[in-house]
Amino acid sequence: MRHLTVENIITYMDGQGSDVEKSTLETHLAGCKECSELKQEFQTLMFQLREDSSFEPPAEVVEWGVNLFQPVMKPEKGGIRKIVASLIFDTFDQPLLAGVRRVGAPPRQLLFRAGDVDVDVKIESMEANDRITLVGQVLSSATKFFDNTPVKLESHGIVRYRTRTNVVGEFSFDEVPKDTYHLSVDLPEGQITLFCVHRGNS
Amino acid sequence: MKPAAYKGFTDPELVAMCLQGDSRAWEALIRRYRRFIFSIPIKFGFSHTDSSDVFQAICLKLLEHLQDMKDDRKVSTWLATTTTRHCLAIKTLSQRESGAEEEIDEPEDPTGTLEDIQLLAERHQLLRESVENLPSRCRSMIEMLYLDETTPSYEEIADRLGMPVPSVGPIRARCLERLRLILRKRGIKK
Repeated sequence: MRHLTVENIITYMDGQGSDVEKSTLETHLAGCKECSELKQEFQTLMFQLREDSSFEPPAEVVEWGVNLFQPVMKPEKGGIRKIVASLIFDTFDQPLLAGVRRVGAPPRQLLFRAGDVDVDVKIESMEANDRITLVGQVLSSATKFFDNTPVKLESHGIVRYRTRTNVVGEFSFDEVPKDTYHLSVDLPEGQITLFCVHRGNS
Repeated sequence: MKPAAYKGFTDPELVAMCLQGDSRAWEALIRRYRRFIFSIPIKFGFSHTDSSDVFQAICLKLLEHLQDMKDDRKVSTWLATTTTRHCLAIKTLSQRESGAEEEIDEPEDPTGTLEDIQLLAERHQLLRESVENLPSRCRSMIEMLYLDETTPSYEEIADRLGMPVPSVGPIRARCLERLRLILRKRGIKK
């Protein structure tokens, strides 16, 4: 049996061709399992292609995601080692307990880890204005406190705020503008960078 | 490096480049998976607005967990799991706030279980990647015919690709056949 060409099948699926041509193709498809299955494959393929186009997010949303990434600043002269911390815990990832209703915007608690160093960060919104407060602590699994350690907040590739830890490794940035920041902690072993410390959505 | 050049890099390569501070690698990763991420809340029955919120949240999570991706962990698997969990969490919260008593562990959309949604998202991603692997003229034609919201006519397609209008039909058939064979090779038949 001579099978249909791919072009025949797709032309038929488009509803093109004369009535005689369509009738001939239909007769063949009714009697040829291979061509019928091929037609079905193409139907599924075209359906999936069209369906996929419906999953296109709005361009501005994609741009938001693209712009989220801020290039890490180049290391200062002397080649400071940069370590990117992993996010271990985020209160925004935890489900609410049954029966609990949210009142107001809760603080967000994040825990980052880089090697044997943990950085705990709490972010609170100031409801009256468009600002946030970041309070944190740098801890070591070796029960060591990082005293007088430089901590920086960067956004859009620029260092915006600097502070130093106290005797127990605590630091704070009070009422800084709401933004998405990188937080960096300068340790002797290297600079630990936390991507995306921000207020987020509650 | 020009943005188009990043399309040829694998996910682990892009992740490694992101961790080196390459913002274009990040852009390539987001554009590669934008429909993949967005399709999951859509399948959950979320509106476009809510799906956009989910998309943004997942982009944020991906950036925060980039460091965890560097050991060749499949980005698509992580995205599927994380996005699904995020959608479920939102649904659960919404149910509680509306006073519903039952926990939900399945989406309202009766067309699929969670596993089906993830599988469908991964299949669509494979389809997109297969379209990307077509020769450029075929890729352009398939994109214009099936993925372009403006739905260009055969005349417009012929004009953009620099071919006679009667050639569009036969070339389209050849391109679809090529795509079908690529998908077959990747184990996707239906």
